[in-house]
Amino acid sequence: MTKTVTPRRISRRDFLKIGGGVLLATAGAKLLPAFMRRGIELVDVASAQTAPPDLFFAGTDGWIYLPPTPAIPPYHPDTLAPAPFTTYIFGFRNVLGLTPTQIANQKMKAQHTAPLFWARQEVEFRLKLTNLGLQMRPDLTDAHTVHWHGFRDAIPYFDGEPHGSVAVPMGKEFTYVYRPHDPGTYMFHCHVEDVEHVHMGMAGLVFVRPQQDGNTALYPSGKYAYNDGDGSTGFDREFAMMLTEVWAEAHWDDAHIQLPEWSDYRADFALLNGRVYPDTLAPNGSIDPFNPITDANGDLVPTPGYEHLQYQPLSSLVQCNAGERVLLRFASLGFTQSVMTLTGIKMRVVGEDATPKRGRDGTDTSYWTDSLSIYPGASYDAIFTAPPYQGPAPYDTYLLYNRSYRHSNNLEAGGFGGQMTEVRVFPPGTLPPQTIPNT
Amino acid sequence: MVSDQPNLFERNAREKEFDMHKVFLARKFFWPAIAAALLLLLLFVAAYRARPAAAQMASSDGMVCTTGASPNPTFVLTTRTGYIGTPDGNVVFMWGLSEGGNPFQHPSPVLCVNEGDTVTIILHNTLSQDISLIFPGQENVLADGQPVQPQFDAGGLLTSLAPVAAANGGSVTYSFVASHPGTFLYESGTNPGIQVRMGLFGALVVRPVIASDPNGGRYFAYNDAGAAVTSEFNHSPSGEVLILQSEVDPYLSQAIERGQGFNLNNYHPRYWLVNGRGFPDTIAPNYASWLPSQPYGALAHVQPVDSSNPLWYMERFINVSSQPLPFHPHGKNAVVIGRDGQPVRGDAGEDLSFERFALVAAPGQTYDSLFHWHNREGYDSATNPVPVVDPGWANLQYGMYYSGSPYLGMTGPFPPGMSTMSECGEYYIIAHNHALFQLTSWGVPMTGPGTFMRVDPPGGCSPMP
Repeated sequence: MTKTVTPRRISRRDFLKIGGGVLLATAGAKLLPAFMRRGIELVDVASAQTAPPDLFFAGTDGWIYLPPTPAIPPYHPDTLAPAPFTTYIFGFRNVLGLTPTQIANQKMKAQHTAPLFWARQEVEFRLKLTNLGLQMRPDLTDAHTVHWHGFRDAIPYFDGEPHGSVAVPMGKEFTYVYRPHDPGTYMFHCHVEDVEHVHMGMAGLVFVRPQQDGNTALYPSGKYAYNDGDGSTGFDREFAMMLTEVWAEAHWDDAHIQLPEWSDYRADFALLNGRVYPDTLAPNGSIDPFNPITDANGDLVPTPGYEHLQYQPLSSLVQCNAGERVLLRFASLGFTQSVMTLTGIKMRVVGEDATPKRGRDGTDTSYWTDSLSIYPGASYDAIFTAPPYQGPAPYDTYLLYNRSYRHSNNLEAGGFGGQMTEVRVFPPGTLPPQTIPNT
Repeated sequence: MVSDQPNLFERNAREKEFDMHKVFLARKFFWPAIAAALLLLLLFVAAYRARPAAAQMASSDGMVCTTGASPNPTFVLTTRTGYIGTPDGNVVFMWGLSEGGNPFQHPSPVLCVNEGDTVTIILHNTLSQDISLIFPGQENVLADGQPVQPQFDAGGLLTSLAPVAAANGGSVTYSFVASHPGTFLYESGTNPGIQVRMGLFGALVVRPVIASDPNGGRYFAYNDAGAAVTSEFNHSPSGEVLILQSEVDPYLSQAIERGQGFNLNNYHPRYWLVNGRGFPDTIAPNYASWLPSQPYGALAHVQPVDSSNPLWYMERFINVSSQPLPFHPHGKNAVVIGRDGQPVRGDAGEDLSFERFALVAAPGQTYDSLFHWHNREGYDSATNPVPVVDPGWANLQYGMYYSGSPYLGMTGPFPPGMSTMSECGEYYIIAHNHALFQLTSWGVPMTGPGTFMRVDPPGGCSPMP
């Protein structure tokens, strides 16, 4: 009646991933220490087919805000945009727990980046998707999908690439089922007409927590990036850093029933978690994927004073106490290179593309750097230790920004913007433990 | 312009003499050669599974090698011009190199040699400008018996990275000892901003010679047999795939075709290709009749890795374009074991391989990687069904490469009026450039630098009744 979710052969690298091969076979799960057993949950196949989703996305269109000056006539700001917004997007919204009426209300209320979410290694995760259509483009009847980018050994049915698989037409629903075996940082996006749908905003970050989580013997917080076996990827706080770009002309074209020539692409704006600096520092909206907060209509609730960021809820502000380890999870679904630089603090790169930095024979290949070159479709896990607090301000400030300068301004001649945020280091004990990422 | 006309003339004369000598030898040994070739052919057929790739004996999928007689393989490469088809329906004028008297092809032949071979490449130039070839990663390359040196004109200006085959009929002979295994490229060293972009490039694969291996290293990328982790890859004919990435500016091609000048400041690629083709042509078989000048497919045709099929498959990446290109395989990571023809190992032999789901090759860079597809969940319609109720074709949009069923080796009903490309319920899993504006062909999205990994059911594809 029951089965484990992990009928897989364990490769040599997996063996190393789990720190010396304690976990030899899932059949022996009961022999494992509790912290490792926790992730291996039993699934009843018969009932699982109709089990409720862990997350529910709706694909639709909407508007977001980017600094309206300097303008890029006629493309930016878009004259069709309702105040205070500037830029037409396609995107996902988290509609978990909403009524059918509330869900229908979310047409034309997409967000960017797509909602951040995470799963646990060896725990089945169900993501339901519906397609609300595009209000600005009734002539377009595009389907949508969710492609979990980097998910190893996905069957086409759950991969979301529409040529070899299925896609979700308007008004329909589909549930993607993931059984994550490989911890790390990934990204997801719609793969229908993907140059357009990804660029228009249907892109977000997802990560998988390792089974080693909960083991406080290796690192006091019991939080890890990978099953390192030695605590080397332990951290106290984590922040997703989703890199995307906006070519104003392409966004304008979609709102105005035009087509861009994609080979003319350029990134007018480079976004960090869907915003440009200094908006990257603004508070989070509703970002807990499993406990979304909406108004009575199901819409996102703007933070007072930040109404322009109603549909860009994810903050990039990094706050930590001196001495804490902070994990930065970078992923890029822009179309050009980003070089994310952290001034004054070195980072240890412990993972690339959801793989721990170890050779096939276990050789440690992690490295220290202060800048990370990130190409489209790549992800990195980098950990830094917050330096001692110096004062006298309430916190010390360090900058995390794209050293490719045209990606760290907002089109102005000089000035700062784009993919830039601040790392604020407080005296030890100032901030309580982190409960969810990016807080 | 060349610096030294008299010497060049003299060299060309010597070249012709050499060619005549070759012709004479060829005639003298014609019939014995035919007999030997037939014998060899029989041997090849007998050992087909063990030794799949020889020139013009290509499997329909997998890398096509042009080979010579080890340990002294000789390749005669002659310039050709012609047209390639692009996914938007355009045809684009290109240059290429073809082996022997073969017609125009793009890209130039994949030359496969063995470690230790003395490789000779005779380059004949029919174009109206001087050309040359360089072999990045090869040491002590000779041109007409002399060490290759950059060429300068009388004023001291650099004219070529290597001695040239002069315009309108010139020739030059390059030779080198392929001293270490790996994936390399060869490309024009003369006016490369024009000539490489017009198509004067190709792949060069050097196979290791491993005495302890009954296949002589044929299925290893490097000399690491016996190491804790090795570079051995799947022995099937399609177990080795080439991903040679390039770009094309059709205005450059048009200017060259018309004999007009072209300001390279205006260079702007509109096409990005894999093995000289744009998706969906990339998944067509090698030597597909409808792609007469684009012989090389890029389909990775595999079966799930399991206990009866334990070896991973091999993918050789080369970027000949002008910019770094991030390549994203769905459903599998590239385990990078070689870079620029060097194994990714430390001085003490430790394995420094790394996995990427976005493998970024810089201009001129090569990567050797292993990949596989593992039927990890083992979904089975009877014993282990997918944990969702399938909404079916009326409620979903089906892709033409979907089989109608979530299960490997099964097909299902398709919407009326739509047919599937699936033969036996095999999986088609895409791999593509993720700088997505490049996954287009001058405006046509979801074409260009992409290909499929085709996963057949274990044991192979038996078409459904």
